[in-house]
Amino acid sequence: MSRGLILLMMMSLAWPIEGIAQSPPKSKLEGMWSDPPVTIMARFCASWCTDAGIERLNALLDNPANDGKSVAQLSAEASAYQNDSYIKSRLTPAALSSYPLDPADDPGLLKCEPWGLARQMFAPHQLQIRPLGPDRMELHYGEWDARRMVYMDGRRPPAGQAPSRLGHSTGRWEGDTLVVETISVAANLTIWRARHSDQLHVVERFTRSSDGAMLQLTATVADPWSLREPVVIKRNWRWAPTSIIAPYDECKPPIAVKRGVTP
Amino acid sequence: MSVARTILCLGQVLLLCAATVTAHHAFSPVYDSKRSTTVAGVVVEFRFVNPHAMLTLDVADDAGKPVKWTVEFAGQLNLAEIGWTKDSLKPGEQITVTGNPTHVVSHQMAFVRIVKADATVLLPAAAQRTDILEQERRERARSRKQSP
Repeated sequence: MSRGLILLMMMSLAWPIEGIAQSPPKSKLEGMWSDPPVTIMARFCASWCTDAGIERLNALLDNPANDGKSVAQLSAEASAYQNDSYIKSRLTPAALSSYPLDPADDPGLLKCEPWGLARQMFAPHQLQIRPLGPDRMELHYGEWDARRMVYMDGRRPPAGQAPSRLGHSTGRWEGDTLVVETISVAANLTIWRARHSDQLHVVERFTRSSDGAMLQLTATVADPWSLREPVVIKRNWRWAPTSIIAPYDECKPPIAVKRGVTP
Repeated sequence: MSVARTILCLGQVLLLCAATVTAHHAFSPVYDSKRSTTVAGVVVEFRFVNPHAMLTLDVADDAGKPVKWTVEFAGQLNLAEIGWTKDSLKPGEQITVTGNPTHVVSHQMAFVRIVKADATVLLPAAAQRTDILEQERRERARSRKQSP
């Protein structure tokens, strides 16, 4: 076999590999993601977390005085810290008047009412990202089997359209990052157990970790009614191509609930 | 053996009484995480569904008469992550269930632990992760102590 032929064969083999490496950035995020791996920090951000909470948990873990405490205890301390020092300090008097909401008043519990955007985007379990035609992407969540449409052509919501539970989302690519901006969200509850208004404005930035194994969300949430300034919330998933979103259709409200019990 | 056995732990047995289930809402308004109940009985039905899997169990009362108990789990989404299927609990199986009872309703609990007749132990996802996370915490403390 001539050296030229061998070289040609090597090039033909190498070509698809190079082609994959040069595939459009958006393909890096499409597919099924689910619960993060079992590490302390990944589990701390399995639903939602903040930089303040992450820094606090690291400090607690690095303090020899805490060596006798469990991960659950330290995570609870860091979670309480981020609630008080980061979230609560940014709430307006209007939001503080009912903060933190009693979980017994959660319409998701009492009436099986699906979550609004400010909880759904941090929901546990799967998130499937997939294109639906050239101008839109779908974000499909395991929790509540909820689906969000993200318009990639920047269209505004139709005039006169009332705010909805999951709002109106538009998306764009900034390099490898999918940026989703959402407005027109009906007043509802946040994942940090506060109320928000229909002035909610959310910018989500989805990126894949350098090793490809994790999907990372950084969401900037603004709402002049409930927040003095925007808050930045994080969440992560792991690549889970075999995970399946199962039907979510057997919700039954409880027979009785007790108010005033801290989760 | 199908005689109900109930243990109230009031916080001493933290492992058994720890909050066990996370799903589409907090369990605290419905279940008392500070108390624990254990019953032995026979599986009538296991519904592997969302948002919460549900188990119906026949438990004999003091007179030997079967009483229906309900056990609430995290949903299929959560349990599937740790390998559960619709056949993880089969009708007719003899099991012992430990859980957090409700604040108000009788004969209902949130799943904390199941022991099968062959001694197989089933735990919630969070409990299964505990050992791995504690190992990471210990290794982190050890490397801190070894660093100059």
